[in-house]
Amino acid sequence: MQETLATSTLSAPRRSSISTQEMFSTADQTSSTGPQPSRPSNIPPPGKSKGWNSGTKLRRMRRIIAEDPEWSLATVPLLTELCIQHIIKNFQNNPILKQLLPEHQQKVLSHLSPELPLAVTANLIDDENYWRRCCMHRWPVCHVARHGGSWKRLFFERHLENLIKHFIPSTTDPAVLLDLLPLCRSYVRRLRVDQLLPPVQLPGPPRSGELSDSGSEGETEEPATDHYQLRDLVAGLSHLEELDLVYGVKDCGMNFEGNLFLFTYRDCHSLAATIKACHTLKIFRLTRSKVDDDKARILIRSLLNHPALEELDLSHNLIGDRGARAAAKLLSHSHLRVLNLANNQVRAPGAQSLAHALAHNTNLISLNLRLNCIEDEGGQALAHALQTNKCLTTLHLGGNELSEPTATLLSQVLSVNTTLTSINLSCNHIGLDGGKQLLEGMSDNKTLLELDLRLSDVAQESEYLIGQVLCANREAARQRTLNPGHLMSPVIAKGPEKPAR
Amino acid sequence: MNPPGALGVLEEKEEEHLSTPILGPSIHSDNPQERIQARRLRIAARLEARRREALGEYLDGKKESEEDQSKSYKQKEESRLKLAKLLLCGTELVTNIQVATDIREIHRRVEEQEIKRQRLEKLENEVKTSQDKFDEITAKWEECKQKRIPQDLWDMLNTQQMHCAGLIEDKNKLISELQQELKIKDDQYVKDLKKQSDDICLLLERMEEQVKHVMKTFRQELNYIEKAFEVERRELLTSNKKKWEQALQAHNAKELEYLMNRIKKVEDYEKQLNRQRIWDWEEYNMIKIKLEQDVQVLEQQLQQMKATYQLNQEKLEYNFQVLKKRDEESTVIKSQQKRKINRLHDTLNNLRSKYAKQIKQFQEENQSLTSDYKRLVTQFKELQKSMRHFALIDDKQFREIWLMNEEEAKDLISRAFDVDRIIHTHHLGLPWTAPDFWFLRNVGPISQQPQKSATQILEEVLMQAEEEETEEAASEAESYLDLPKQISPKTTRKILMLLCDESGFLIENKLLSLLLPLEKNECYLLRLDAIFSALGIESEDDLYKLVNFFLKYRVYHSPSSQEQTSLLSVLEPGKQPDLEGQKEESLVEGEPEEKEAPPSSRLIHPNDVLKILEAFVMGLKKPSLILTQRAKLLIENNSLEQQNTELQMLLQKYLDSKINSELQVPPTRVFRAPTK
Repeated sequence: MQETLATSTLSAPRRSSISTQEMFSTADQTSSTGPQPSRPSNIPPPGKSKGWNSGTKLRRMRRIIAEDPEWSLATVPLLTELCIQHIIKNFQNNPILKQLLPEHQQKVLSHLSPELPLAVTANLIDDENYWRRCCMHRWPVCHVARHGGSWKRLFFERHLENLIKHFIPSTTDPAVLLDLLPLCRSYVRRLRVDQLLPPVQLPGPPRSGELSDSGSEGETEEPATDHYQLRDLVAGLSHLEELDLVYGVKDCGMNFEGNLFLFTYRDCHSLAATIKACHTLKIFRLTRSKVDDDKARILIRSLLNHPALEELDLSHNLIGDRGARAAAKLLSHSHLRVLNLANNQVRAPGAQSLAHALAHNTNLISLNLRLNCIEDEGGQALAHALQTNKCLTTLHLGGNELSEPTATLLSQVLSVNTTLTSINLSCNHIGLDGGKQLLEGMSDNKTLLELDLRLSDVAQESEYLIGQVLCANREAARQRTLNPGHLMSPVIAKGPEKPAR
Repeated sequence: MNPPGALGVLEEKEEEHLSTPILGPSIHSDNPQERIQARRLRIAARLEARRREALGEYLDGKKESEEDQSKSYKQKEESRLKLAKLLLCGTELVTNIQVATDIREIHRRVEEQEIKRQRLEKLENEVKTSQDKFDEITAKWEECKQKRIPQDLWDMLNTQQMHCAGLIEDKNKLISELQQELKIKDDQYVKDLKKQSDDICLLLERMEEQVKHVMKTFRQELNYIEKAFEVERRELLTSNKKKWEQALQAHNAKELEYLMNRIKKVEDYEKQLNRQRIWDWEEYNMIKIKLEQDVQVLEQQLQQMKATYQLNQEKLEYNFQVLKKRDEESTVIKSQQKRKINRLHDTLNNLRSKYAKQIKQFQEENQSLTSDYKRLVTQFKELQKSMRHFALIDDKQFREIWLMNEEEAKDLISRAFDVDRIIHTHHLGLPWTAPDFWFLRNVGPISQQPQKSATQILEEVLMQAEEEETEEAASEAESYLDLPKQISPKTTRKILMLLCDESGFLIENKLLSLLLPLEKNECYLLRLDAIFSALGIESEDDLYKLVNFFLKYRVYHSPSSQEQTSLLSVLEPGKQPDLEGQKEESLVEGEPEEKEAPPSSRLIHPNDVLKILEAFVMGLKKPSLILTQRAKLLIENNSLEQQNTELQMLLQKYLDSKINSELQVPPTRVFRAPTK
């Protein structure tokens, strides 16, 4: 009924036109019981008798439908409009997009539901606006700049991250992830998983509370603590560049339990094989995962001679001197630019091995040893290494129990080194004399932009004066960036600098 | 929390405002003096800053050096420094939390280490003491075995039990202590969590505050900078205006100078112009006079030319008139001629129509006459038929009557004879002889001309030939009813003529000489008569027989012609040329051969040898005769030709005569028409 009416109105531009017999007859056939629009009173209902009907048809043929003064062409939807509506309605079953004209495509995309299955949309739709709507629909806060400015990438990355986050081994079906793989393989470049759930044994963590806690009681403990094996997933993601993992439960709060944060050897071996196979990986982070020396060695061994790796972050773990030694070995066997071993248990020997590697390294830009315990021995070794190193720009030695001897050596380094731009010596016991020596070293340095000496027992005066020098250095650096033509070599704001004088 | 990164970003933002490089007393400046100054300042600042408020001094020094800089630049620099400081302080403020937690963590670790060490020590001590106790107990077990007195043994066991209980109690105590510690740790964990959340809250707060503050200051500084720019712009505008006015004044002065120069120059030029004009005027006059003279000369020439032109024109006009007149005359003549032609054409047409009419008329007449003629011929034929019929009937009647009368007469005669005999015998006694009269034996009428003699027929034929040929043919056909129809009278005549020509040897020479002066027909007739008499043909039947023979001969001759020739050559060698001559003739009936047949079939018998010989002699003579005849004919022909030409000449003369042209229907046409 509706359709016939629509077609009749479409076919007759004005309703005042004399409707033909065919139109009436079709209306009769399709809507024998439904009310007819503007049906005259003297016409009997069409359900009486056929003979009567045929007689009346002749009369109806000449009937004129009264003009509707409010009718206008604007109220009639265009056929294209209807088609687009239909396409939108049936997009899930019959996705038609590429065949449409660009403006129609836009229309369809702007009306598509963000809840369509990914299997339909993933490889078909590239429109950023659609994916933006999808993202906004799912997450209230989206930081698109962190995903290369691509909403689609953001969507898939976060979607995948979510799935991995809530994946419970031996309970969740791994096919859930692997099915998604062909859809997102070309969009996902970064995986930031800040929690990996252990298999359910006891009443699960609050995040997995909705899952049933049956079936895992009687199992032995050893295999049950293994986390999700990322090997298949990572192997499928052909563009993966950044992998950020935490083998632990986030926001456990008062439900804290030690075995929620177990990074087993099996996990470790699996992860090592995974990152070794992933040749596109540039950034690898494994934080807060209780990685001890042996595990760190396993991982780092798999990363030796990795073709693409640039950044390694193993902060907030339990890495000791042996792990640090492995990292030092890695420094000389890869193109690592950033190494972060913050909040570990590296002591003097580890720092010494790192310093030894650093002495002749030409790749590493940033080294972070915050909250370790390298003490003066390690600090002095590092300072010696920095006298020959021409590459490192950032060094974080905060909270390392350093004291005056290290500061003395560092001040010597400061007067010689021209690449360092940032040094953090906060939370150490540098002392008043150390501060003065650092000030002396700073007076000859023109490149250092930051020197953090907070809470390190340095006299305020020297701290202030150092601040002045840093200010001047910053100013100079700004000058260099503003008019690089005055210098022999172009200078990048944070990059290594060569003395122009 | 990476302060340099954030700073860098913010600095970049800030640097967007700066478009010009700092020209202040920086050590990187191009100006060496400035560099020296900057270094000096820096050293001074470094030296003095230890005891004084360095910031103000530093900025003062900077300001001093920047006096020559523009206000906006100063403002910018000021704002930049201020903002940089703000950012630095802000980030420091924010990162202070982190640093604080770090140091706290370090302290905690130190404490933890200490506690841990103590705990381990304690545990070790405990292990040692308990081991001692245990050793003691195990030693006592040996003692127990040696005990023989149950009382002692019991006591010993009791003490052992007590010792063991003490050991277990110690252990339990230790466990409870550790559990206590664990509980305290749990509490601390909760506290730490709280502290952490507090820290995070504080961090967030500070960050937000900083963001707000930074935004505010940035906005403020932006305003300041804008204001400074505006002020500078205004100043610049005023100074520029001033400059502009000065320049304008200078320009005006120069303009005046230029104007004066111009006026002077104009005067100069005017003078020059006047001079030039006068000189030009004179020259112009001279040229004008010269040209006027030229013009006069040319006008004279023109007049002459005009006169000649007029003359020529008149001449031409006269000629034209004459030609026109002539033309008119010619047109008149032409029209006359045309009219005449038309008239003549009309007459010609009239005559033509008349002529056509006449032709028609004559044709009709001719037709009617021919039809009349035919009708008459048929009538005549019928008449002849009836006449013949009647003649036959008459003849029959006559014969019957004659026979009747003859019988009567014979009866009478016989009676008379009887009477006479009686008389003779009886009366006279004389023997009676019956008189032999021819008429007694005669039966039928005595015809004077019982049959047409051959000569008569010949005569008739020849006479007919002399008359009209067509009529002759008809009459001939009538006359020779018995003859086969195919033989036309013409042929018959020709046959006869030939016969007469060829069989001249049958005619005696005397007769021939006698016949010479006679007319042709008569001559032929006589000759034929002589020939027929010689051949023994007397009656009409004989003639027919002859004709039939000729015809039969033709039929029978054609196959046996070969045999005949030899015979003919023997019989009549003289006739051979004639025979050939006759063959050339258009008549192919073969009459000439037929003519020879009679001698071959009939005349060859010994009695006639003489005749043949005679004929042979005659035949020899024949060519000369023919030749003479031919010569005569030739002469005749010549004379006739002459006559003809003469007549033609006459006719031509007559036709060419002028009277013909005047006649409406020229006789030439009349001549031609019938010939057509």
